[in-house]
Amino acid sequence: MSYQNNYDTTSYNNYGGGGGGGGGGFMPGEGSQNSPSGGRKEYKDDSLRPVTIKQILDAQAMGEEFKIDNTVISHLTFVGQIRNISKQATNITYKLDDGTGSIEVKQWVDSESVEQTNPATVRLIEGIYCRAWGKLKSFHDRKHVGAQIIRPVEDHNEVSYHLLEATAIHLYLTRGPPGGASGASAVAVNGGNQQQQAAGIGHNAYSLASYSAVAQRVYEHLRQAPQSNEGLHSQDIAAKLGIDTGDMTTAGDELLNGGLIYTTVDDQTWALLEAD
Amino acid sequence: MDHPQTPRILAPHLQTFQHKIVRILGKVVQLRGETAVIDAGGQVDLILNRDCHLAVGHAVEIIGKVDQNLNVKVQAATDFGTNIDFTAASAVVDATHRYKEIFYDGD
Repeated sequence: MSYQNNYDTTSYNNYGGGGGGGGGGFMPGEGSQNSPSGGRKEYKDDSLRPVTIKQILDAQAMGEEFKIDNTVISHLTFVGQIRNISKQATNITYKLDDGTGSIEVKQWVDSESVEQTNPATVRLIEGIYCRAWGKLKSFHDRKHVGAQIIRPVEDHNEVSYHLLEATAIHLYLTRGPPGGASGASAVAVNGGNQQQQAAGIGHNAYSLASYSAVAQRVYEHLRQAPQSNEGLHSQDIAAKLGIDTGDMTTAGDELLNGGLIYTTVDDQTWALLEAD
Repeated sequence: MDHPQTPRILAPHLQTFQHKIVRILGKVVQLRGETAVIDAGGQVDLILNRDCHLAVGHAVEIIGKVDQNLNVKVQAATDFGTNIDFTAASAVVDATHRYKEIFYDGD
C-alpha cells in the first residue's frame, strides 16, 4: 500500500512536471518573438522624414538604401504641385513639383477596390498641391517614390509648414539639435560672425568648426548622453545616431586626433577629454 | 527638366533673380486687366496671362519670369485662399536662401 501511495504521489508530481513541460512549450513561442526582434534593427531605423524634392533627387544611393544628409532614409513625406497624371492599369503616376525639383510618385492601384473610387483621389487634379507619403525607389537609375498615401492639401499653409519642417530636420541632422554648444558651433561653421559670444562657448564652437558634421554630432552625443566615466562604445553611438561604421571610425579618428575625446577601456570606447 | 526649379522669393529679391523663373506668394492688391499688383514683402507688378484668375484680397502663388523691368511675367497662378500666414511664408523664403542646399541649385 505504501508503495502504491508513493507511486500516486510521484505520478502526480510527474504530471505537474508535465505541466512545466507545457510551459516549456512556450519557448518556441519566445523563439519566434526573437526573429522579429532580429529585424528590429530595421524597425528602429524606420522613420518618416519631411523632405524637399531636391533632397530626394540629391539622395545618395547606398546599395538598396538611400541617404539624405548622411542619414539613411526609409519613409518620406513631401508636398508638391501635381504637374502630370498618368493612369495605368496597375498604377497612377503623379509628377510632383515643389519648386525645388520634380519627381514621379507612383501609387499602385488595388484592383479589388477599383470600383469604389476614393474621394481623395478624385480631387487630385493637375495644378493642385498635395502631400505624399512613400518610399524612395530607384529603377534603371531613375528615382521615383512609391507612395502609400497621396492626399490633396486643404490648407495652403501646409506648404510653408512642410518646407519649414524639412529645413528644421535638415539642420538637425547636419548641425545637431538646436541650442547648446552644437548650436553655437553651427553658427560658427555658418559664418563665424558670432565672435561676441561668451569666451567659453565661443572657444568651444570655434574649435569644433573644423570638424566634419558627423564628428560634431558624435561629440555632441558624448557631451549629452548619460554615461559612466568609461564613456560610450562607438557602436552604441553609431546605433543611436544612425551613423555607419566607416563614418563612425572617421569621426572617432578626427576627435581623437583633435584631442577632444580619449579612449578608455578599449580603443572603441570613448569619453570626452574635457569634463563640463 | 520640364519643370525647372522655381526658388521662392519676395519683392526685395527681384533684382537678384532677374531673368529667372521664380515662385512668389503674395496677396492680390489690385487688378488692372492685363496686369496686377500683389504684396509680397513689397509691391510686385505682374503681367498676367489668360489663364490667371486672381481675386483681390486672396493669397496667390505665382510662378513666373522676372523681366528686365522687374515685372513678373506670370506662367501659372494658384489661388491660396484668404487664410494664409504670410509670416510663415516669408520664413520659408528666408530658409530657401539661407539653406539653399535643400531648395535650389546656385549658378
